[in-house]
Amino acid sequence: MPAPPTPSSFDRPALIAALRARIARMERAGAAGALAARGEDAVPLAPAIDADLPWGGLPRAALHEILAADPGAAAGFAALVLARAGGTILWIAPEPDAWPPGLGRFGLSPAQLVLVRAPRGQDALWAMEETLRCPAVGAALLVTGELDLTAARRLQLAAEAGGVLGLLLRSDDDGAAPTAALTRWRVGAAPSDSQAPHEIGDPAWNLDLLRCRGGRPARWRATWHGDQLVTEDTVPRTVPVRRRA
Amino acid sequence: MRHRCCRPPRLAMPSLFPEAADEAVASPPKVARAGPPGRRFLALVFPRLPVERLRCPGPVAVWATQGPRRIVTSLSAEAEAAGLEIGQTLADAQAILPGMTLVPQDAAGDATALERLALWALRFTPLVGRVGAHGLVLDITGTEHLFGGEAALLQEAVLPRVTRMGLSVVGAVASSAGTALALVRAGWGGVVPPGREEATVAPLPLIALDLEPPLVAVLHGLGLREVGNVVAQPRPALVRRFGATLAQALDEALGRATRPITPIRPPPEMAVGRDFIEPVVTRAGIEAALAALLEDLCRALREAGRGARRMLLRAYRADGDVQDIAIGTGLATRDPQHLARLFQEKLEQLAPDCGFDRITLEAPRTDPLTGTQDTLGITGRAERQEELAQLLDRLAQRLPVWRLAPRASHWPERAMARVSAFDTVAVPKGWAPRPRPVRLLRQPPILQVLAQVPDGPPFRLRLGRAWHRVLRAEEAERIEPEWWRDRPDRLSRDYYRVELDTGVRLWVCRAGPMGPDARWVLHGHLP
Repeated sequence: MPAPPTPSSFDRPALIAALRARIARMERAGAAGALAARGEDAVPLAPAIDADLPWGGLPRAALHEILAADPGAAAGFAALVLARAGGTILWIAPEPDAWPPGLGRFGLSPAQLVLVRAPRGQDALWAMEETLRCPAVGAALLVTGELDLTAARRLQLAAEAGGVLGLLLRSDDDGAAPTAALTRWRVGAAPSDSQAPHEIGDPAWNLDLLRCRGGRPARWRATWHGDQLVTEDTVPRTVPVRRRA
Repeated sequence: MRHRCCRPPRLAMPSLFPEAADEAVASPPKVARAGPPGRRFLALVFPRLPVERLRCPGPVAVWATQGPRRIVTSLSAEAEAAGLEIGQTLADAQAILPGMTLVPQDAAGDATALERLALWALRFTPLVGRVGAHGLVLDITGTEHLFGGEAALLQEAVLPRVTRMGLSVVGAVASSAGTALALVRAGWGGVVPPGREEATVAPLPLIALDLEPPLVAVLHGLGLREVGNVVAQPRPALVRRFGATLAQALDEALGRATRPITPIRPPPEMAVGRDFIEPVVTRAGIEAALAALLEDLCRALREAGRGARRMLLRAYRADGDVQDIAIGTGLATRDPQHLARLFQEKLEQLAPDCGFDRITLEAPRTDPLTGTQDTLGITGRAERQEELAQLLDRLAQRLPVWRLAPRASHWPERAMARVSAFDTVAVPKGWAPRPRPVRLLRQPPILQVLAQVPDGPPFRLRLGRAWHRVLRAEEAERIEPEWWRDRPDRLSRDYYRVELDTGVRLWVCRAGPMGPDARWVLHGHLP
């Protein structure tokens, strides 16, 4: 019996799923493969979101892009992902204004945060690539503007080599440019569900999964409640989401 | 490792009681040589440095203004051969030699030239000091054998190279720095064997002692024209009449008192170097030399059980120029590959026009570093720490890298302190319980705000170009200035957490008194 179960040629969905799995294995070699073998290659977000992502969460050893419709909401979501990735976190920006008193709410401790100031884009890309190649780092975030496909591809390869989760935080002005990142999110603020006019309530976000390699775009409204992300299915889905293969 | 051997000179101060002074200075110091035995010094004097560094052809004179007169202070060999003298007025000199090139004195330029020569001389020994305006002293103890002995060092290594630079030079080697300097000041070059100092110095003219010109004139008037004449005089009388300066100068010249050297660069804890017969010009060549030097230095560090915190690559160009590249590391290290990567970024700064004929690598600062045990699992904690430190080292060579540590302060700008990226940040228990912005704006933009009541929360506010309605606003949080470290006119602030109709949450602040002229700023973005 050979290792991969060979589906009969008439079972098309199964055949396509097997081929997709093979391609995914070939694409994500090196550290990514090692992480996948240990079963710790994905950062969990919320059960509903994880179910829709093909990896059962946000994969490590990959690059993810966050378009910030609102700076506060995007920084909060990024902090949540970084904190759940664990380990040492590098925040690379032209003028890093991350503030640990607020980030601490998402589990990101100042003990693990290192800030890097890179005013020039070239330096920032170099710093990000060096960081992504270093397996001692848990995750890295780069605040950047326009990023060409070559640079993004380099970062993606570096993340695969080092097994580090990389985030690109960009402003949401040109969402149409192609990307080499594994996923692309748009994060905006959602009106909170607090009823009182004198209470802001928990942070609430609109999470748009705009692109996802091997998955379908999707949309959630999520609230940060206590120490977990709670999704609500009130937002009608624009496209039907494929079941996980 | 080399330690400084020089002690401060023991000055015999003039005393109020002549008898006591006599006793103190009358008997020569009990130990004939104050420094440790066996030390050897090389003194160099460049008598025509101000003229020759200009590299002008033909007769040249350098002049300076002294009071109302212009005096010649330095002359080229051709000008001196024509009969000019130092100390002449410029008008006389021009009358003797009308076609001469005249250059005003540039003391700062001379000092720079001497500094460059001192840096160049570091290739012979790590201890080099400047003396006066034209002199250098090298402590060559223990380094002369690398050049085949003292005479070979002086005659074959040092003097020909200086001459090739177009400078005239006098050099002498002796067992004390003062003796060597006295010899070169008098224009006498060569090697003095140990123990022969007094006999060699005695017949020299008084110019060999570093004395004020009026004092020399007085001694000449007394018929004392050689150092030996002065030494033969009874010492108490000399000290009583001319002060302790003369006695000190005599002791230094005779090698009885130590003359301290102030090194131009502190001697490194460890250093390795390589000479190249063919100067190295290409980047590949420099990298190969660096790799070999790193290998040597790291082996020496491993044997000493230490790791480098700072490293200095010093490249000596064939034309006498010296270039430095320094790197620093956060943790002590002796990993050649890591250090080579740190140097990689900076090697572009070197300018090897005509090539480097010597490259040295120094570790000016080292820390104890015990051996780490490797090959015990690939995910060892210590190994992770080391990898992270190496990454931060590389980033810190090019960019500012830091961590933020909590500080006991309610004032938002002071709540976090920048600390080194290699520090461990301790988080106090129960820290940051309140909801705070995730991004604190360094330059808060000013907001236009409408409030329903003067001391109430904002009702509408303008962000960018658009006006927004405030849906929800929490109670104000007043933060008082810290009077114990703030300026007295600092205003207290009221912070509001507001939510706009778009769902955007902001941390806005009203500084100063309530009322129509209150100043509102946007200080941060809430998640």
